[in-house]
Amino acid sequence: MPRMVRLIWILFALHLALGMIAYTHFLVTGRYVVLGWYFSTLGTLFFLVMTVTECTLAVMCRSWFDPDEPMRLAWSMIACAALARLAGVVLRTVYDNHLPWGYWHQFNLLSGGLFTNLSQVGLVVGGPLSMAFLAIGLGRVLGIQRKFHLLASLTRVDKVLLVLVVAFSVSQLSINLPLFGNHPSLGTMLLWLSDPLLSLLLIEAILVRRSVIRMGQGLVAKCWGMFVLAIIVTSAGDAAIWADSHNLLSESMTALSWYIWFVAAAAFASAPAYQLAAISLTRESSLHLVEKR
Amino acid sequence: MKLLGRWHPKLWRRKPAAAPGSDLNFEAAATSGLDDLQARLNHWSDLWTRGNESAIRSDAQRLVAERLAKWMEHCFGQHAQSSLRGTDSQISLASSTPIFTAFLGRRATRELSRRVLQDL
Repeated sequence: MPRMVRLIWILFALHLALGMIAYTHFLVTGRYVVLGWYFSTLGTLFFLVMTVTECTLAVMCRSWFDPDEPMRLAWSMIACAALARLAGVVLRTVYDNHLPWGYWHQFNLLSGGLFTNLSQVGLVVGGPLSMAFLAIGLGRVLGIQRKFHLLASLTRVDKVLLVLVVAFSVSQLSINLPLFGNHPSLGTMLLWLSDPLLSLLLIEAILVRRSVIRMGQGLVAKCWGMFVLAIIVTSAGDAAIWADSHNLLSESMTALSWYIWFVAAAAFASAPAYQLAAISLTRESSLHLVEKR
Repeated sequence: MKLLGRWHPKLWRRKPAAAPGSDLNFEAAATSGLDDLQARLNHWSDLWTRGNESAIRSDAQRLVAERLAKWMEHCFGQHAQSSLRGTDSQISLASSTPIFTAFLGRRATRELSRRVLQDL
């Protein structure tokens, strides 16, 4: 495992260990004090560290491709997606005033009715906008993989998954469309795009997953595998929110489902780390080459 | 060269007269140089491309293929070679460069090629 990837997952493990202590405290006492502090302060810090790491690594990966190379656009889009996710975290942190430093509530009042508040801007930037960038980037990658005949045909399970994803997306649209009559804000309407975009990302993830399975366990394959994991985990988190809104989850299960987002953040950060490790391998002499006999 | 440089006095000088017999020496040297160049080009061409199946592969070619297979496995995965080629025939720099360039970039692929051809 590359050093940077190991570092990301060690940080994740430590953060999760602290999270489990907070969760145990919540289960024992039934109070949200420690759990709330953990998610608002440590959780926000973790997201900030992960998104900054992801953004920096994605920009570094992009710099390795010349402007006329097809993967340049893919990594540009992935870097934009990471930057949007980082901006989203920062905006929500500013609004919620979760971090111990700074008091920025005076910036929360937005003129006009486009967005409800700064947190909604953060949700749109870190949600649908970031997903749109990632969808374009992954679309480009799929095009390159198809060029090299790396895309394998879909299995029956893949097809079932695709049907489920499309059905979920259509059902969400059918719920949201009648709400147009209530004159929702632009921010609310943009947030409705989250589910269709996530569905598109899942479709791309299923296709990328096929090619990754076909290739094996190389560093580049793991990079795209991490994107697939991040997208699947994001969908799981989204499903948990949906289930919670329909009172399908118990209180303890709802609290446990919040940890899913940390896995997604770590997976998103690991993806460019794997790509950079593959590129760095060509510059280092760490790979033991076959010796001349 | 600047346009006005064409009128520089130094450029008006005539070419020095050739030494007697220098043409013969030059031709001999050119022939041996061309042979040498051709031999080198053939060698590099053999390393870059998959040679004729009937021809006996040199150790260098085999080494290049083994190193490329190792890089392919590290970067893409253990099945990448077979899924790309569809057969188990030997990999060459020419056949593997496009995929390395696509996923690692031109600069990284140049470094990779340099490492693959190291000590050969």
